[in-house]
Amino acid sequence: MDYILEGFREALKLLTTFDREIYGIISLSLMVSTTATVVAALICIPIGIHLGIKNFRGKRAFSRILYTFMSIPSVIVGLMVAIILSRKGPLGRFDLLYTPKAMVIAQTLLVIPLILGLTYSLSKNRGKEIENVGITLGGNKKDIIILIIKELRLDLMVNVVTAFSRAISEVGAVMIVGGNIKYRTRVITTTISMMKSMGDYPTAIALGLVLLVISFVINSIIYSYSGED
Amino acid sequence: MEIRVKNLKRYYSDNLVLDIDNLTMEKGKIIGVIGPNGSGKSTLLNIIAGLDKGYLGTVEYDKKPIDKETYRDMTIVFQKPYLFRRKVYENIEYPLKIRGVDRNIIGERVEKIIERFEIEDLKDNKAHLLSGGESQKVSLARALVFKPKLLLLDEPTSNIDPESIKIMEREIVRFNKETGSTIIIVTHNMEQSRRLCDDIIYLEEGKVGC
Repeated sequence: MDYILEGFREALKLLTTFDREIYGIISLSLMVSTTATVVAALICIPIGIHLGIKNFRGKRAFSRILYTFMSIPSVIVGLMVAIILSRKGPLGRFDLLYTPKAMVIAQTLLVIPLILGLTYSLSKNRGKEIENVGITLGGNKKDIIILIIKELRLDLMVNVVTAFSRAISEVGAVMIVGGNIKYRTRVITTTISMMKSMGDYPTAIALGLVLLVISFVINSIIYSYSGED
Repeated sequence: MEIRVKNLKRYYSDNLVLDIDNLTMEKGKIIGVIGPNGSGKSTLLNIIAGLDKGYLGTVEYDKKPIDKETYRDMTIVFQKPYLFRRKVYENIEYPLKIRGVDRNIIGERVEKIIERFEIEDLKDNKAHLLSGGESQKVSLARALVFKPKLLLLDEPTSNIDPESIKIMEREIVRFNKETGSTIIIVTHNMEQSRRLCDDIIYLEEGKVGC
């Protein structure tokens, strides 16, 4: 029990003394996951809304495949990206493996099915009514997509936050494509995993606390914003 | 805008819910569509609005099939209106904004219609939080603000207070007189159809009756 309490004390000390390595890890984690989530959201939100309101052949099969990919294990995504980016892989010449860019690519691919699936489902259930109003008021396709995004903005924000949570808390993909290299590709989750195996509980607990605080802050922002109603 | 319907058939699965050989709705008139529940009134309205395309036959707008311009010249007000999650003022200005109307003209037209519908005190309220009667007035104001050539109303005054009904009926008639637009109104209320309409179409089991 003592070592756990000691761990908490050390964790607070590390955070309050602004340990350079710890804050480097935190900022890299935030940068990689935020970039991946933003890129995925910019791609998937318009596409998900469009597919949700559109009737096309094979829509049911598409839904099933998409929902299956939403829960794809992160290690599989990591493995796929590592193979593609490895020296002998199709994108090996770009020398991206074991860089933050590779981690961004892996996390983007990880959250794309999640944001696409959640947006698609939301649009399928609630987009049609908004689309009909948009059409009858004279909107073109672009007007209608923008209108649906604006109308569903709170739900879309929750979806994006869900995707960000998945990105920042996953360990498999970033471990495989980033390699957990000190000062280069070490992020919160890979460090916790490594510190635990090294028996360095204070650092692991400190980073665990940071993950919790990030989650708490983001959720508080979302809930205070949605409280406008 | 004149509406001409020819050999119109609409099936849901194997059920024929609408079967109209020939029907013309003259330009500039207020036309009431009445009939019992399930007679195909709302289906007909949705087809004319271009929202239901799964029909057989033809629907012509000023002797032309539906196109992008037709969509821009008509609108529909639903029985349960969907108002955007923004202010009443922003809801009403929306059709003008997407048409690229000048900001000053938008301001003038929106203020004028807000005054006519007597909803000045609501203009900064969140539209999706309004009562039934208030929502319907805002929905109708939003439809009239861009002066459509064809206005479709699907039971717009059902389940709302008498004062709101009075204001809405007054504005529907005034809009018709001022613009010469065609208005098609689906209603259960025989008294209302007599008060407002130049022509009445009776639908029964999907067919035009006497």
